[in-house]
Amino acid sequence: MGRVLRASWSAWVTAPALELLRTRLDPGVAAFLESCVRCNLCAESCHVYLADGEVDSMPAAKVERVARLYRRYHTWSGRLLPFLTGARALDTAGLEELKEAAFGRCTMCGRCTLNCAIGLDPAAVIGLARAMVAAAGQVPAGIMANVTAALETGNSMRIPAGEVRDTIAWLEDDLRSGTGDASITLPVDQPGKRVLYALNPREVKFFPLSIQAAGLLLHAARESWTLTSTDFDITNYAYFACDRSSAGAISRRLLERAEQLGVETLVVAECGHGYRSLRWEAPEYLGRTWPFEIVSFVELLDQYVASGRITLDAARNRDRVTLHDPCNLVRNGGVIEPQRRVLRRAAWDFVEMTPNREHNYCCGGGGGMLAASEYAARRIAIGKLKVEQIRRTGAKVVVTPCHNCIDQLLELNKHYELGVEIRTLAEVAADALVLPNHSA
Amino acid sequence: MTVPALVLLAALAVAAGSLARARLAIGSIRGPLFAAPRGNPAAGIRYAFTTAFLPWAKESASGHLPTYLAGIVYHAGIFAMLARLVLTLVPLAVPRGIAAVLVALFGAALACGFGLLVKRQVAPQLRAISVPDDLIANLLVDAALAAALAASLVPGVVPLFQLLGAALLLYAPLGKLRHMLFLVTSRRLWGAYYGRRGVRG
Repeated sequence: MGRVLRASWSAWVTAPALELLRTRLDPGVAAFLESCVRCNLCAESCHVYLADGEVDSMPAAKVERVARLYRRYHTWSGRLLPFLTGARALDTAGLEELKEAAFGRCTMCGRCTLNCAIGLDPAAVIGLARAMVAAAGQVPAGIMANVTAALETGNSMRIPAGEVRDTIAWLEDDLRSGTGDASITLPVDQPGKRVLYALNPREVKFFPLSIQAAGLLLHAARESWTLTSTDFDITNYAYFACDRSSAGAISRRLLERAEQLGVETLVVAECGHGYRSLRWEAPEYLGRTWPFEIVSFVELLDQYVASGRITLDAARNRDRVTLHDPCNLVRNGGVIEPQRRVLRRAAWDFVEMTPNREHNYCCGGGGGMLAASEYAARRIAIGKLKVEQIRRTGAKVVVTPCHNCIDQLLELNKHYELGVEIRTLAEVAADALVLPNHSA
Repeated sequence: MTVPALVLLAALAVAAGSLARARLAIGSIRGPLFAAPRGNPAAGIRYAFTTAFLPWAKESASGHLPTYLAGIVYHAGIFAMLARLVLTLVPLAVPRGIAAVLVALFGAALACGFGLLVKRQVAPQLRAISVPDDLIANLLVDAALAAALAASLVPGVVPLFQLLGAALLLYAPLGKLRHMLFLVTSRRLWGAYYGRRGVRG
């Protein structure tokens, strides 16, 4: 009787995950699952495996976990000869293992994808695993709380529009008194501007100075721009959960707000996954294009510097600076050189960490790992690789154009006593800004 | 036509049909994407099928050079072996020079295949993710390579080569050997992804 009940419970819990695997499997992901030959040459490209050395952390082991389910439910040899191919049915224990592999041992940074000798995308396979876990309602609670908040209120931190407006007003006053320039404005909810600068809610709550820095740079460039107090959120935790429906709904709010304001360009504040989910994934979630371009603030800043709309004086940032490349902005977003061009103009002593650009290691906080408190200890442990990279540069300042990475780097800085300052690109550029005299 | 040749012909038909069915089963790859490309997907695909194969193009290859090169030689030998297998069905003499190259290639591929098999059995990380299919697939390929080598030196071994080749072809749709069919699709998608996003190509 007990065994029957357990089996029924298991079937009930896993049914939505299996339904997704059976009926909504992306053909591309199926091709990846068929192509992996378990050569394991990708193992050392994974920062999680490099940090813990555990077999379960190898990308090939994580892919294999999904592939065994795929074989069981999608191939006749897997159904008839499961011992041959290792095909395995999904039960509650298997679902828990899948969750652990997909959320606890992978930040979806895609470094294994770039380095796969065969040319398959393990991160996409992990995406399938996450989608299955999401379908079964087993996504880590911390990630789900952000998804729910974004769906219910329009932003993942439930910040009311009034609070956004108050914060912006305070930042504007502070900026005016700090620079002595009374003409500086941080416009909010103004239609018909060229640019909508969209925020990460963490900036509003915890890092308002990064908004201030961006505002100062936009002002100096004489940009026609606005912020929005509603539907301003560039983050998308449903993207981490690989729940396409919720991810699309979350993205749609900001994209429709940009459309409503009639802007030509939606500028995504410094946030790796925010950029990727809006620039690359949202059009696919929603199956449409938008009448404006979507760029990262990093790209806009690069345009300002290159065109002479703003002038930066590197002598104002004398400390050695290094750059951490956010995986979603760089390896998976293609924004590789703009931040470097800006930093070379904004910092006196800019040095690269090794490896860098698309080869850079994830900070360890990607893929929603920061929001999943159950994996916090592991997150700090896998960040050691990043700490060592930073230490080797001898830098005093670490710049990264991603608030998610900033949170992780701040924790690593404290835990490993790195003694560095963690800053956004806008903050460093704003410090180097030669303020123009707009009244002249 | 001899009995082994007929068996090989039948195995070829079964393998082709089964693999085609497997490819059809996964459905068609998504059509045009909506996000505006930053780079050129076609350039990314070109990269994927050319310079991405160079040993220094990927950390996984440069960091495991002996294994990677063994894999390249192994697969070159397998392609040649399959071509030689099909050629046994037609009355076509292989020129002496090419035959000598094939002998060398089959020998090298066999050594590489055996080396990869040993590595899989010895390395604990590889053992942990291996399934019986890994062993069987490798042994069948190695047996076919050995038969191809022998048949290149002793014409009387051709029927054995045909029978072992038939066994390999019949096994191919069952397990990891299916990657021969899906690898091209995977690599094309991989290249298009990085090309489109302006990261490669």
